[in-house]
Amino acid sequence: MNNDNASSLSPLIHLVDDDAAVREGLSLLIATVGLRVQAWAEPQAFLAGFDRASIGAIVLDVRMPGTSGLTVLEQLLAQGVDQPVILLTGHGTVDMCRRAFKAGAAEFLEKPVDDEVLIEALQNAVRQHVRSRERHQADQQARERYAQLSAREREVLGLIVEGLTNKEIGRALALSPRTVETHRANLFAKLGAESLAQLIRRYAALVDAP
Amino acid sequence: MTLHKAWRRRFAGLFLWALAAGAGAFWLAHARLQRLQADFETDARIVHRLLSQRVVQHDAVLATLALLQPPSAPAGADATLPRLPSVYPQILSVLQRPAGGGWPAALQGPLAAAEAASRQSGHPEMALVDLPAGRYHLVLASTPASHALQIDLRATVPQDEWPMDMAASPVRVALERGSEDDGAFVVQPGRGDGAGGWGWSYAFRKPLAAPSQPLDVVALRRVGLAELPWLAMLGWCALTAALWAGGLAWWRQRVARQRAEELLRLGQVARLNTLGELAAGMAHELNQPLTALLSSTQAAQRLLGDEPPDTATARTAMARAVEQARRASTVVGRLRRLVERPDLAGQAQPLPLAAAVQDVLHLLEPELARRGIAPEVSAAPDLPPVQAEPVALQQIIHNLLMNALQALEQVPPAERRLALTLARPDAAHVALSVRDHGPGVPPEAREHLFEPFYTTRTGGLGLGLTLCESLAQAMGASLALAPATGRGAEFVLTLPAATAP
Repeated sequence: MNNDNASSLSPLIHLVDDDAAVREGLSLLIATVGLRVQAWAEPQAFLAGFDRASIGAIVLDVRMPGTSGLTVLEQLLAQGVDQPVILLTGHGTVDMCRRAFKAGAAEFLEKPVDDEVLIEALQNAVRQHVRSRERHQADQQARERYAQLSAREREVLGLIVEGLTNKEIGRALALSPRTVETHRANLFAKLGAESLAQLIRRYAALVDAP
Repeated sequence: MTLHKAWRRRFAGLFLWALAAGAGAFWLAHARLQRLQADFETDARIVHRLLSQRVVQHDAVLATLALLQPPSAPAGADATLPRLPSVYPQILSVLQRPAGGGWPAALQGPLAAAEAASRQSGHPEMALVDLPAGRYHLVLASTPASHALQIDLRATVPQDEWPMDMAASPVRVALERGSEDDGAFVVQPGRGDGAGGWGWSYAFRKPLAAPSQPLDVVALRRVGLAELPWLAMLGWCALTAALWAGGLAWWRQRVARQRAEELLRLGQVARLNTLGELAAGMAHELNQPLTALLSSTQAAQRLLGDEPPDTATARTAMARAVEQARRASTVVGRLRRLVERPDLAGQAQPLPLAAAVQDVLHLLEPELARRGIAPEVSAAPDLPPVQAEPVALQQIIHNLLMNALQALEQVPPAERRLALTLARPDAAHVALSVRDHGPGVPPEAREHLFEPFYTTRTGGLGLGLTLCESLAQAMGASLALAPATGRGAEFVLTLPAATAP
């Protein structure tokens, strides 16, 4: 039960390769470090069916019948998929490598790939993805909280971010220092900020934005 | 459309040739005609001058007679007169009308009329003119006695100074009286063909420079078609035709050679491309099982390293690895069969090795010339034909020669020697040795020379000799580097001799 829960929370690697033996070998290898693997034989099936919300990374073979790995990479990027993509190729040319990085690949590895190289690349990719998701979530939360502020509270927040004291804010907005004090307390509560520094770090960007 | 174009091109060529030939021939004919005309006019002028000089003498003789006559001694004068014809052969006789006397009775009328005219004009006058016979009298009136000369025009003509051969010359020369139509004295007849036939004619007419004898020198030259320089004209046409044909043949040969070179090069590029594609395909075909093999074995290693080791899964992974190793070896086997090219042996046919060598040397002629290399080819007598596939054989020889040429580029031009030797090492084989006097093959390179992708040249692919060797083997021939002796490198291609049917 506990184990199951842990595995469902562990990062998910999507592996796309047309060769069954390669899929099996790589899946087993990736599984040995505790990552979950979902293997796909066809690029189109993968594009149609994979879980975009999952945390993890995508491993693409470049040379596949039908759609090349590079094309899949470009399609993923166009669709706004945020999972890092690792490309695998049998005979990588400098040109192909350049194209891959230009298209946004996180890593470009040559087959046959050594276990340590692959696993390190995967772990890096997963860490990168987790961080980007966290940042994304924090941004999302800040935006939602900021939306709850009243117009007056936003004015006060703007002046706080500019570095004005309560007295100066009261003068600027023609309010009594006590009223400013109240707005300030409400604002900290609504935004869930614990310190002035945290408030400024999280919300300065939102105040500047229209 | 293309046929039409080809015909038009051929026609244009023919037209250009006809234009060149025609222009040349016309120029030759024109030059000949101009020369003939110039010669004619020169001769006519000379004739006019000579005749004028002679005829003027008659006036001088008469004037002298008039001056010399003694005022009153007609008998003495009589004695001098008969001597004149011996000095001047053209003067047949001298007549004198003594003072108060008359001319000989038979001639009295005409001579008296001429004397009267002479007295009026002040210079001698002609009488009793018979131009066809070349005879006339010339009368000068004077006092007291008047004189007359009987002239023979035939003797007037200076034979020794005459510019033409009187009997054979085609120019007709005559003396005519422009004023009266009383025939002509023909000095030389010229060619008789006159009126008939095509041709050109040049004419000359000028009065003699002697007012006393108003005779015109009339010269006529007819030039027939036969007198044109036909031999030179035909020669010119033949020459241009030969040049044209030669140029065309040279051009065709050049085009054919370029095409042959192109084909050979294309063939090599195609083979190399195939090899390149093969390498790419091979990389993929081999990398797939190798990837599976590597990942399975490494996964097994990790599983066995776990505590406790997951031996069951590791065993499955190892079984999969074995399977993938077999798959890889199948790929290699398939590749080898692909490269072996079993078809070449079937296409082999008997052909003379010397001719194949000459063909390739011919193809490489520009390359050889550019590097200043004259290949020395020697062949043993009575070599049998070899059993080989023509294109493959040509490619091998071409490659060997190109290698030799590139090696020779590294030595000064004066030392560039290339020797090709055809020999018969034993009854069943014919061998071609290609030996250059270049820097030779370094000892450490000798054993790797035929390995794929091994090259001693910067920028070389390292496939030339590999390809040659595999082509040779496919035909049942062999290619080897001869043991190093002296300078340069020597490659020996040994081919099976074609067995007599």
